[in-house]
Amino acid sequence: MRLRGVGRRYGLRGPWVLRDVDLDLPRGALLRVEGANGSGKSTLLRLLAGIDTPTAGRITGRPRTAYVPERFPAALPFTAAGYLTHLGRVHGLGRAAAARGAEEWLERFGAGRHARTSLSELSKGTSQKVAVAQALLADPELLVLDEAWTGLDRDSRTLLDDAVTGRVAAGGTVVFVDHDPRRLAASLRGAADAVHRVAGGRLTTERAVDAAGASTGAGPGGPADAGSRGLAEADPRDPRVLAEFAGPRVLIEAQGPAGAPLPEGLPGAPALVPADSPVPPGTVRLTVVAAHSDALLRALLTARPAWHVHAVRPVDPPPASSAGSPSPTTESPPA
Amino acid sequence: MTALLRYQAALLWRSHRWLPPLMLYGILMVIGVQHGEPVLDSFGYAAGVLLPVAAWLVRVCVTNEPPAARDCAAAAAGPGRVHLAGILTALGASTALAATGTAVVAAIGDPRSADHQVPVDLWPATAAGLAAAVACALLGTAVGALCNRPVLRSTAWAVPSTGFAAILVLFAGGSPARAAVTGLVTGSRSGTVPFSPLPLAGALALTAAAVAGACALAGRRA
Repeated sequence: MRLRGVGRRYGLRGPWVLRDVDLDLPRGALLRVEGANGSGKSTLLRLLAGIDTPTAGRITGRPRTAYVPERFPAALPFTAAGYLTHLGRVHGLGRAAAARGAEEWLERFGAGRHARTSLSELSKGTSQKVAVAQALLADPELLVLDEAWTGLDRDSRTLLDDAVTGRVAAGGTVVFVDHDPRRLAASLRGAADAVHRVAGGRLTTERAVDAAGASTGAGPGGPADAGSRGLAEADPRDPRVLAEFAGPRVLIEAQGPAGAPLPEGLPGAPALVPADSPVPPGTVRLTVVAAHSDALLRALLTARPAWHVHAVRPVDPPPASSAGSPSPTTESPPA
Repeated sequence: MTALLRYQAALLWRSHRWLPPLMLYGILMVIGVQHGEPVLDSFGYAAGVLLPVAAWLVRVCVTNEPPAARDCAAAAAGPGRVHLAGILTALGASTALAATGTAVVAAIGDPRSADHQVPVDLWPATAAGLAAAVACALLGTAVGALCNRPVLRSTAWAVPSTGFAAILVLFAGGSPARAAVTGLVTGSRSGTVPFSPLPLAGALALTAAAVAGACALAGRRA
């Protein structure tokens, strides 16, 4: 999608909120928009989402678009699942696919038990999950997020981060505004990614992400980044791997349907590790940073066809940092 | 578009905001349409009272969604199409009222002229009554589209304007609504069923223009 000379003002003689915006939104790009309060960030996002029409200039090549507002106090006479099914169909899904997507996304956000709750009775955070779910439901080609993380709990913020990196990895475009300057910072490394700033009604490119950073792969603190770009074959005990993905890791043993490959775009950059004892056919062992383990488990359990998780346990610390005292390994019961 | 219409129709039905305009229509019909009255007079009255009701239904449908939810739908389908779906849902509801009202009048009215002397053919009379009612539903929809969001955004302007415009369209000379209603009332005096496609065609053209204008503004005036 391209913006050429785009401007927007409210009313016939109102001041220009935005002027002369030229912007390309390539496929597979993650774009961050920054700016002070009232600078026109939200106006830009509304233009990008197609909610508002530009007063001047042209927007061409609009893909299938979805938008998440900052607050979603939707006093609508629908249940959460009912609303999502309607919106899924507006996004172009068939009846069955929309209903299935609604249930799946609510489940993923841990709001499955609210599927039959009326939207007007939902808490602020759960309403926001519904707003995020309606946008992700139909795999949009352009996803516009206006502080969509506000009000979400920690797991849901991580899940949304993973969904964003997943959309970008799948060739979609994601534009976002967030007050947290570190939001998705680790993922803003692709060749097409950029940070733009709105000030004084103009849009400037604050930081075009350098292509070198992207070509060398994940940099420090890049689990979410690498997560979008596939699995890495790695030994979890290798100190270099641990240095790259800092923090305690969790080992997940999962079994897929016969012959099924691992689902693509798994969150948290799980590393595939060889089994140290015989395992049933179709079983894989993955390690992931503990912070991403919940999201990875959810992704496996909600994959189609579904995976069975046999074991989840913390990975032993590397020998270097735990001199001669191996910590006890705790097996958790099969999920 | 089908998905949007289904969404807007479900929204209207489940919000129960159709109840006040439906009650207005019901009360006006009970006051003005009585058993054994000349059928063409009653058709004219039933068509006339439908016009403000149709305008009110448009207001209900285009203000039914909270802004955040409207934005989500607009991003998915475009603001013009979302607005059009709301207006068409309202038009569907008022057309259903037109059909119901016409059926009730045909069932309880006296198929004779205003002085109860000349018999009137019931089927052609019912067709003329339905055409007049649909013309008024269309013009009421046009009034609703031009007197509400996104054209008039504040309630303080929108509600009085809708009322005044409905009265104006009903009584102003040259209005297709007035032509449709007077055609029936005049025909009732002589016991002849009026047949002129002009009011309905005029109403259709005016409404299409009004709705297209309102939908084109939908993304421009937030």
